[in-house]
Amino acid sequence: MSEYEIIDHEHDVVVVGAGGAGLRATLGMVSGGLKTACITKVFPTRSHTVAAQGGIGAALNNMGENDSWQFHMYDTVKGSDWLGDQDAIEYMCKEAIPSVTELENFGVPFSRTEEGEVYQRPFGGHTLDYGKKMARRACAAADRTGHAILHTLYQQCLKHQAEFFVEYIATDLLMDDNGKCVGVLALCMDDGKIHRFRGHQTVLATGGYGRVYFSCTSAHTCTGDGNAMVLRAGLPLQDMEFVQFHPTGVYGAGVLITEGSRGEGGYLTNSEGERFMERYAPTAKDLASRDVVSRSMTIEINEGRGVGPNKDHIFMHLEHIDPATLHMRLPGISETAKIFCGVDVTKEPIPVLPTVHYNMGGIPTNYHGEVVTRKGSDQNAVVSGLMAIGEAACVSVHGANRLGTNSLLDIVVFGRAAAQRALKTVEKGASHAPLPKHVTDKILARLDKMRHAKGDISVGEIRTSMQNAMQKHAAVFRSNSSMNEGVKKVDTIANSLDGIGIKDRSMIFNTDLVEALELENLMQQAIVTIKSADQRKESRGAHSHEDYPERDDKDWMKHTIMWLNDKNKTKLDYRDVHLNTLTNEVATVPPAARVY
Amino acid sequence: MAEFALPKHSKIVKGIDYPFIGETKNSRKVNVYRWSPDDDQNPRIDSYTIDLDECGPMVLDALIKIKQEIDSSLTFRRSCREGICGSCSMNIDGTNTLACLKSIEDVKGDINIYPLPHMDVVKDLVPDLTKAYAQLTSVKPWLQTDTKPEQGKSRKQSPKEREKIDGLWECVLCFSCTTSCPSYWWNGDKYLGPAVLLQAYRWIADSRDENTNERLDDLEDTFKLYRCHTIMNCTKTCPKGLNPAKAIGEIKKLQLERK
Amino acid sequence: MNNSINDNLIKVEDLKTLKTHGVGHWKLQRISAIAMVPLVVWFTSSLMLILIGGYEQSIEWLQSPFNATGLILLFGTLYFHAALGLQVVIEDYVHHEGLKIVSLILIKLIAFVLGVLSILCVLKIYL
Repeated sequence: MSEYEIIDHEHDVVVVGAGGAGLRATLGMVSGGLKTACITKVFPTRSHTVAAQGGIGAALNNMGENDSWQFHMYDTVKGSDWLGDQDAIEYMCKEAIPSVTELENFGVPFSRTEEGEVYQRPFGGHTLDYGKKMARRACAAADRTGHAILHTLYQQCLKHQAEFFVEYIATDLLMDDNGKCVGVLALCMDDGKIHRFRGHQTVLATGGYGRVYFSCTSAHTCTGDGNAMVLRAGLPLQDMEFVQFHPTGVYGAGVLITEGSRGEGGYLTNSEGERFMERYAPTAKDLASRDVVSRSMTIEINEGRGVGPNKDHIFMHLEHIDPATLHMRLPGISETAKIFCGVDVTKEPIPVLPTVHYNMGGIPTNYHGEVVTRKGSDQNAVVSGLMAIGEAACVSVHGANRLGTNSLLDIVVFGRAAAQRALKTVEKGASHAPLPKHVTDKILARLDKMRHAKGDISVGEIRTSMQNAMQKHAAVFRSNSSMNEGVKKVDTIANSLDGIGIKDRSMIFNTDLVEALELENLMQQAIVTIKSADQRKESRGAHSHEDYPERDDKDWMKHTIMWLNDKNKTKLDYRDVHLNTLTNEVATVPPAARVY
Repeated sequence: MAEFALPKHSKIVKGIDYPFIGETKNSRKVNVYRWSPDDDQNPRIDSYTIDLDECGPMVLDALIKIKQEIDSSLTFRRSCREGICGSCSMNIDGTNTLACLKSIEDVKGDINIYPLPHMDVVKDLVPDLTKAYAQLTSVKPWLQTDTKPEQGKSRKQSPKEREKIDGLWECVLCFSCTTSCPSYWWNGDKYLGPAVLLQAYRWIADSRDENTNERLDDLEDTFKLYRCHTIMNCTKTCPKGLNPAKAIGEIKKLQLERK
Repeated sequence: MNNSINDNLIKVEDLKTLKTHGVGHWKLQRISAIAMVPLVVWFTSSLMLILIGGYEQSIEWLQSPFNATGLILLFGTLYFHAALGLQVVIEDYVHHEGLKIVSLILIKLIAFVLGVLSILCVLKIYL
């Protein structure tokens, strides 16, 4: 492997990814005095956090409704369909309040109430008094909250002179012979050099893998690189069958229309002009949980009540809302509707369709952000040197279905928690043990093989067939027969990776190679996703099984964990859901039927 | 002197023509600037003819289609494909914009695509933006205050005060404006350019920021600020409909009021 | 790119030491431009009369103290404004430090000499 020049870096902590979670962690670590490297494959403000629209959930109680974090916790547990770990959920909802206030203090340009406080709007699944009425809990910066938060976090990192490595794609974790993570290997896209980053903690903040599907709201860069690195490091991923479909992706383009638009009064109709959500969710109506709304929309379409010439989508109405409100609260989606479907939201409805949006599953961690795995009877064995936060992680606070506004909250709270943990556990400036040569060689061999791949199938071809298979077989509604077929298809497509060919042999900004590496990452997650889905014989949250339409708490209230070996063979196990709370400030939310 | 013509090794030559194979009633030619640092070749224009009936509506869709189906070595940045991440800024049909927001329908005839003007090219449509990012850092684009907010409380800001930063904080840092500005072309090493000045003004206009004077002191410079000659290309080209020229005008107004 | 951002930052930060104030120049350029508006309107309308009247009448026109004062003010403002404007052009396009300084001095000198010359001409006729 002498062909590759390797440049070594030694840091206390290495953060992979510069979205909201990565930046919040980096900020906390740098300001706490840890020597931190933040490696990112796109310039920080290009990360997908920037696309989050509606708001960040925190019971700040600015709207005078006697909101509390206990209500927020109840909603999140219920939203998760009781698959979320209640200790972690308690931590998140409680820490939401200082975390969001801190964001304001950092300079996030939140919208304001007349009293000068942070503006909060209603959002799907967020209620007061344990489901009695809708709460205004989503702290918003117009409909560009993610943009506001991401840019502010980047600015704070600049203030603290954080060290960024921009346009470096991480290829694999450096795992020593004891199974400890000691850093990460990355390819600098700018000049094609290999960089070996050593850190006492490596924090994966690499986001979701929405791009395994054909139609998703996720950016092209959402390829779950961290998840795949974890699989290749011989560690499992958790709850990968739970993929959230956002009810309102623009029909055709797939771009997102925030749930905040329903929070501001928007509603859905079918071809008969009926507000059908009133039938499915009498209390929350259009603001029921996302899985509920997406399922209802799909049923309407399947029963022939879709709109449009092919009766294959649904309308979302905003035209009854005062144009001044639309301009002030929803300027971004007004623009998006105009550009991507030629719709003037003050006059016509927007054509929408449930679209893949978020991965509840990911790298299993505890509420400090430390990666855990199952070792025999120890279900919470911490993997030394490795952390995961944000969409890449499965803490699990979202369980089987995430509530809107809880993703921005997740990244900020657990980014902060990871920094606090690292400050406690990492000794500043401690030396790094020598790394056996074979660790790096193995990773370089994989990279080199891909760079010289001379097969006759292009990255694009394989990617499209994988995306189509997942779109068809791991959809809103799933069945035994469809998923069995899906498993076979995905296996075949994964095998076709052996025949991949890339055209660009350059070392400089080789996006052909990067896309091939990303495709391999996606493929490994596709396998784990469809196999995890295939084995779960119940319906829970985002996983709706037509052959098992009921939730089965007796047999299935447990997290799926799945390993993948280098022959693409999976190994399955489970972890118990944490039903215990963290403190006695709140009681466990007992499982109940989920009605909105 | 400022350079008004391309140096010899940057002169653009004709490249490879990829004709459309098969039948289509709705074909369109896409001409793309190609350059790789790996050889000593001059930049060239490759032409790809594609079927618009089998392509998404935006110019970015066309580029992705070309990369996916015709030439995977074509290099460009892209991410969110909805105009919020600012990755895919390039010069399309003579205007700097985001490829994901530029409708193919709006381009008459061949679609001509070049990297952002007057920046060093890394490869094909990928410009080197490191200098622009460094300039952004130089205006200290973060909240600066002397007073501390009440422990555990937000700073207050009235909706009226908050309104003053509308049209400023939404910038996606695509640098379409900066690279459309002739002043930046000639003096990009010293002039901060419209995108960075917009960011500078974003903090001057924020009622929570307490360092307005230092910020204005820092900008009061012949080159950093006053190379803006109100050409207005920035405002005309901004794919997000923002108005950097107005922001710069506001900074100049404040400078005047202080003197 | 990590290093290049930092390298660039050093370059950008270095500019602080070369800081030259801009607001004064900007202000004077605008004030002189505004001042020229009435002067130019007055002068062009007077020019019509002079052109109809011929040489004799022109001399007579200039011997009025009001007209001579106006013309002196116009020339003064004009060359002052021209020097400021050309300074911007040179700063924009001439990047060689030495050449730039020489050009800037030359422009100011020429504007000054032409200004003095023009005013003396007016005075000569007036007196």
